[in-house]
Amino acid sequence: MSEAKEKPKWRWGFKRWIVLLFIILNVVGVIVFPPIRPQVQVQPEELTSPVNLGPLGDFSLTNTLVAMVLVDLIVIAIAYFTKRSVMKAEKEHYRMPGGIAGALETLFEYLYNMTQSTAGKWAKTIFPYFASITLVVLIANWMELIPGVDSIGLLHHSTTGSPIQQILPGVFGTVKSGSGETYGVVPFVRTLSTDLNFTVGLAIFSVIMTQVIGLRAQGFKYFTKFWNTRALFKKPFFGLIDWLVGILEIISEFSKILSFSFRLFGNLFAGSILLFVVGALIPVLLQSGILLFEFFIGLIQALIFGMLTMIFMSMATQSHEEEE
Amino acid sequence: MTGDIVAAAKLIGAGLAVIGIAGAGVGIGIVVNGALQGMARNPDASGNLLTNMILGIAFAEAQAIYCLVIAFLILFVF
Repeated sequence: MSEAKEKPKWRWGFKRWIVLLFIILNVVGVIVFPPIRPQVQVQPEELTSPVNLGPLGDFSLTNTLVAMVLVDLIVIAIAYFTKRSVMKAEKEHYRMPGGIAGALETLFEYLYNMTQSTAGKWAKTIFPYFASITLVVLIANWMELIPGVDSIGLLHHSTTGSPIQQILPGVFGTVKSGSGETYGVVPFVRTLSTDLNFTVGLAIFSVIMTQVIGLRAQGFKYFTKFWNTRALFKKPFFGLIDWLVGILEIISEFSKILSFSFRLFGNLFAGSILLFVVGALIPVLLQSGILLFEFFIGLIQALIFGMLTMIFMSMATQSHEEEE
Repeated sequence: MTGDIVAAAKLIGAGLAVIGIAGAGVGIGIVVNGALQGMARNPDASGNLLTNMILGIAFAEAQAIYCLVIAFLILFVF
């Protein structure tokens, strides 16, 4: 053990033992509490009983709403700590901000350069939408990776569930395989992007702001993209084709909402089901690999959502007429 | 032999719905093929090509995801 005096080598070996310990704990845990087939539900589960809000309909606290609040708190906390870090750096004679501000600066510089190469002079208008959508979706997607999300929650009666096994009687419990009175788990926090309400809301926001930015850039000429009567009078035959293309553009705006929302929802929902099923069938080690894959998918989907918004917005700022 | 015909039809329907993913697989293959050929011929443009390639993959992948969503809806909602 004379070589063990070298510090990095010793720490690496130490961490290796921790990993081994966790693997052994995993195997023991799987034997003591055998995993069961999880329940899958498309709509978010309700945590409280519904409250009637008159004309707005029934409202109940769902577990994706809890996740939404958590995501918002994380984004606000990031903004607060970044501002504090920058202020501190400015006080100390304009030193380079370190820590979280430095990391965010790298990310935003990359995103801003991407915006500028696509949108040109409209980059300053488009960039806030791009960056904020990317950040919110990124944090919402990565919440899936936190242990306890999607798995810790209230037990409730369910016809398709499994019987209950008490760990601390009355306080803690888990569902197990076998027979008896059946229960299911309603998690406190469920990944935000597996709720269609969130993805559709974000998609509608993105498409409407695209129209607003197009209107700001081109004025009322923007609507000739959808309803081109001027070309109809100018050149009778090809003008008719232009007019029909305008009708198609209207349909494509609505299909954007559909494709935006279903892409994010489908990817993340499929990912979480993959995690559930792999966790139930092969509970040792394999789920770690899937988690790494989900880390990648979450990043890519957040970037795709933001990048497509940015590209559609920059397309809306460019007029079609000038190309002819 | 137990179970009812609706459950069986659900499983068969979900299985049929995901056939469409084959098309998305071909599409992603074509996208990556084109991007890699472009990168091999002009390595300087690879950064720009990579961004557009991932965008193209996302568009092609979206079709697969629609199939998957339909399969999930058949299995878990109806």
